[in-house]
Amino acid sequence: MILEAVAFYFFAGVCVTSALAVIIARNPVRSVLFLILSFCSAAALFILLGAEFLGLILIVVYVGAVAVLFLFVVMMLDIDFTELRSGLLNYLPVGALVGFILLIELILVFLITLTPGTTTPKAPSPPLHTTPNTNAIGEILYTDYFFLFQIAGVILLVAMIGAIVLTLRPPVQRKGLPPAEQIARSPSDSVETRDLVSRRGA
Amino acid sequence: MINLTTLQSLAPHALLLLAPEVLLAAMAMLVLTFGVFRPKSMRSVYRITALTLILAIIALLLPLRLPLGDFTLFNGAIIMDDFARYMKCLILVAALAAIFMARDYLERTQLQRFEYPVLILLATLGMCLMVSAGDLISMYLALELQGLCLYVLAAFKRDSLRSSEAGLKYFVLGALSSGILLFGCSLLYGFAGSTGFEDLAGAAGTMPENLGLLFGLVFVLAGLAFKCSAVPFHMWTPDVYEGAPTPVTAFLAGAAKLAAVALIVRFLADGFLPAATQWQQIIIALAVASMVLGAFAAIGQKNIKRLMAYSAIGHIGYMLAALVTATFEGVAGILLYLALYLTMNIGIFSAVLMMQKQDSQVENISEFAGLHERNPLLAFMLAILLFSLAGVPPLAGFFAKFYVFLAVVEAGLYPLAIIGVLASVVAAFYYLRIVKIMYFDAPAEPIQQTSGFGLKFLLVVAGVINLAFFAYPAALLIPSQLGAASLIAP
Amino acid sequence: MNFATISIEHYLAVAAMLFTIGVFGVFLHRKNLIIILMAIELILLAANLNLIAFATHNGDLVGQIFALLVLTVAAAEAAVGLAILTVFFRNRGSIDVERVNIMKG
Repeated sequence: MILEAVAFYFFAGVCVTSALAVIIARNPVRSVLFLILSFCSAAALFILLGAEFLGLILIVVYVGAVAVLFLFVVMMLDIDFTELRSGLLNYLPVGALVGFILLIELILVFLITLTPGTTTPKAPSPPLHTTPNTNAIGEILYTDYFFLFQIAGVILLVAMIGAIVLTLRPPVQRKGLPPAEQIARSPSDSVETRDLVSRRGA
Repeated sequence: MINLTTLQSLAPHALLLLAPEVLLAAMAMLVLTFGVFRPKSMRSVYRITALTLILAIIALLLPLRLPLGDFTLFNGAIIMDDFARYMKCLILVAALAAIFMARDYLERTQLQRFEYPVLILLATLGMCLMVSAGDLISMYLALELQGLCLYVLAAFKRDSLRSSEAGLKYFVLGALSSGILLFGCSLLYGFAGSTGFEDLAGAAGTMPENLGLLFGLVFVLAGLAFKCSAVPFHMWTPDVYEGAPTPVTAFLAGAAKLAAVALIVRFLADGFLPAATQWQQIIIALAVASMVLGAFAAIGQKNIKRLMAYSAIGHIGYMLAALVTATFEGVAGILLYLALYLTMNIGIFSAVLMMQKQDSQVENISEFAGLHERNPLLAFMLAILLFSLAGVPPLAGFFAKFYVFLAVVEAGLYPLAIIGVLASVVAAFYYLRIVKIMYFDAPAEPIQQTSGFGLKFLLVVAGVINLAFFAYPAALLIPSQLGAASLIAP
Repeated sequence: MNFATISIEHYLAVAAMLFTIGVFGVFLHRKNLIIILMAIELILLAANLNLIAFATHNGDLVGQIFALLVLTVAAAEAAVGLAILTVFFRNRGSIDVERVNIMKG
């Protein structure tokens, strides 16, 4: 029990602190690195909650793909970040105040109104205590949630089409000649014999 | 209402209910493949796409002949009722118009790429799923599906700064609003114990005490208000409308608006009807702010696309005013309004696309001067549509507003109705100003008219519908009432 | 709130903090788009943490399935967002959203 509490406070602390660091870091590369740290600690929190599969997926998808994509874009675009930071403090007081009030309200809501867990889940679900988390997700994802799973696939297709349509440029002016055209040429339409009269030229 | 589990939904006869969606998804992938292997045959790509949309409409309407009734599929994730059928029909028509409008435009602007119809098909799929969403998960996924397509479409003219900026603005604000909506969904799921709209309605009775549900509802409504650009979540609309390629703007203003309004109606009517007193306050605020801002901010606009953006904000305001009533009459009014608003939109954007000067599109309202002398038909149809938008009797726009305000008055919301009528009087001013410029101002530079048959056809059909609606209103009135009846019993 | 035993509210409080930081980040960095995108990722993470915490609380798996699908969508969103950002940068040479002034009114 006490071990769980220690683990929770550690990971939650790291998660929130690094999330804060994401938005106040001076250098966007550092922001990305803090984002990775934040996601890794959140993955630990997921595992503490009993969602092992999602915790590991979060690391694979986020740290492995999304965060690296961010890092790639930050480094690919040659951006003058010092200029972007000017005027940052203009919004700080109002933003901090609004954010703080929102946070207090949200936490109060949780403290006041959360009812004890419902004993009979309304949605289809395999017995959670006997099935491992990954098995349980697999059992309903491909059956009861088959349709939503398909839509998620279509969304990934859209992302692929979108990224290609926006950023792919056809290679300009290829140096090489297409082989088929070269082979199809015959001497008769490219070479010509002429009789040259001397001192007159072609 | 017949509820089918996932396994039952996958049976062939049940899958027929989803035929339009399945067709759209399959054909999008087919067109994609076709486009990759035959990049030169753009005309046939457009033909296939148009054919797909027509087939989808037929597939949608075929089951109407059989007494099938209302269904929920996949454990309640998808609802197929008259409301969904009505909205899907309108959305498919809007998508068809977007395809017709785009063909010549994209050719002229050297944007002829086969990804455009593919993205339109996939966005249409997302919108069709939006209007029949029956739980929070399918709602979020459908919203994201159409959203991602629209962000890319807005930035489709990728070498133009304005278009990429429009895409960027739309994306940043859209992603933020989806995030807020998702956080709201997570609260609703947690405090209601389920994601289905039906179960939400069951939990909504405990609303005033259950603060968690109330917070969730507010967050979700903020996200949805952004999607249908209600004030104060409208900031993106004018910039995106102006910057996006014109056929995409037409698609945004038509199909996307329709789907967003339908989703907010479905979400509130199916999920939160027992807690109407809670959300009515929010919707009243959104409606009043949208009506007023839409009427006043449009006055100084010089660009027709920007003007249409503010006009859209105003019209959203009228529809939300009808939603406040939470009655059958209100929802029926919204459905009729949506259909008629769609025809006006298609007509006006076709007219805008038809006007050219040298090699640029005419978008400045001052350049419409003297249009009447050079293109009498174009000017006449445009004038009809503008009068209809303004709500001048006996055009269709008048009846749309009439039924909406009637529902508002019947519900006893007199202040709301008065604000609405005043706002539409102010708004009439800027529509009539355009008519005045077209008919009475000295001609400016000559405007060339593109010869495309598709645009002229769309314009004339839209104009005739608006002109002749009063002769046979039942054609739209009855379907809209059927649709409304499946949400709120009359 | 009992501090030694960890209950659902603790997780929800963490999610609320992440959400607030995300929203705050979006408004703080009105100029730097990359940070805005990261702040939006934080908002999605907060929603996911909420979903999983509620799933454990409710004793079902719907929240976990929802979170899994949200992860997919978030990855797609990041890809599209960064593509649009790249296109914008190519046209403008900056990612400053606030200095955008071709379109005004």
